Amino acid sequence: MLELLQQPAILISSIITLIALSLYFDEYFERKRSSETQKKVFQDTKQKSAELLQAAEEAQTNLLSEGNFVTKQLIQEYSDKLSDLIKNSGNSINSAQGQLIAFMEDLQKRSSDFEEASKISTEKRISQLFEHLEEKLSDFLIQTEQKTATSIELELKSVRQLIETYKNAQLKMIDENIIAMMEQTLSIILTKKLSLKDQLDLVYEALEKAKIEKFIV
Amino acid sequence: MNDILTIILKDTFTLTQLKTRLKALKVYLIKEFFGGDIEQSPSDLNWLSNLPQSLYQQFTKDNVYKTFEDIEEAVHTLPVLTVYLTFEPNENSLYQIGSFVRKLYATSLLLDIKLDLNLLAGCAFVWKGVFRDYSLRAKLEEKKPEIINNFKKFLR
Repeated sequence: MLELLQQPAILISSIITLIALSLYFDEYFERKRSSETQKKVFQDTKQKSAELLQAAEEAQTNLLSEGNFVTKQLIQEYSDKLSDLIKNSGNSINSAQGQLIAFMEDLQKRSSDFEEASKISTEKRISQLFEHLEEKLSDFLIQTEQKTATSIELELKSVRQLIETYKNAQLKMIDENIIAMMEQTLSIILTKKLSLKDQLDLVYEALEKAKIEKFIV
Repeated sequence: MNDILTIILKDTFTLTQLKTRLKALKVYLIKEFFGGDIEQSPSDLNWLSNLPQSLYQQFTKDNVYKTFEDIEEAVHTLPVLTVYLTFEPNENSLYQIGSFVRKLYATSLLLDIKLDLNLLAGCAFVWKGVFRDYSLRAKLEEKKPEIINNFKKFLR
């Protein structure tokens, strides 16, 4: 032991080891206690959860049963109301159908009456129209005949005038050109046929005539 | 001077002839008196040779120009009858017409011959500015209504 004391290093090491062990055991027990506490808390929590779950299930079951009842009640109500509605609608449709048939029958009757009246009126009007047309046609034919006769007379008059105008124009043209044509013809013929003696005789004749007329004094 | 013109006018009937012949005589006399070498046509020379000697004797070297001046003045006073013919007369025709005119009217009457083919036949005169037509054209014009009526008889 003295030897040990004489060697301080070993002593210090031994002390430190002792302290470390002490701390280890302390920690070990502390952790063990904590684990147990946690385990207990877990158990409690689990139990509580199971209880809650059970309660919830019960509540759900209650709710579901109540909901089904209400739904069935509503469906019944709707079904009743719908039946009433269908029944009412059927009555209305039947009534409307009856009215429609009555209206259609009335309409048919009126149409038949109108058709009959229209037929009588049309026949009457056609008859009048034919009478009127006959009169008009007769008048028209008389007028056309008169107009045609007048037109033909005018046309004939116009043609006669045209012929007369043309004839006068042609005659005027001939009048104007006859002398010129004669002069031209005579000029051609006399130049060839008239002898110098004849020409001189004509000059002598002209000179004598001028003297008789006392043109040349 | 009047004697000279009378001699010339004996066989000269137209104004053109007179002017040509006076020119020929003047040329001849100037050549005779003053010399020169102007040639003259055979017809002029022929006419000059037929003139009487007495005519030539009236001209001298001194009076030749003056005498011609007087003759030209006298020519302006001569009566001129313009005659429109439908043919071109030759010398002989001109002589015949001229002779007839001189016989019928005055001896100093000159003719101015012109050509107008539109007259057809016969002639027309202008005397002292007045025209008178004695041609066939005038006769046709005069008988125009009658001719047209005759034609119309055939047309209608």
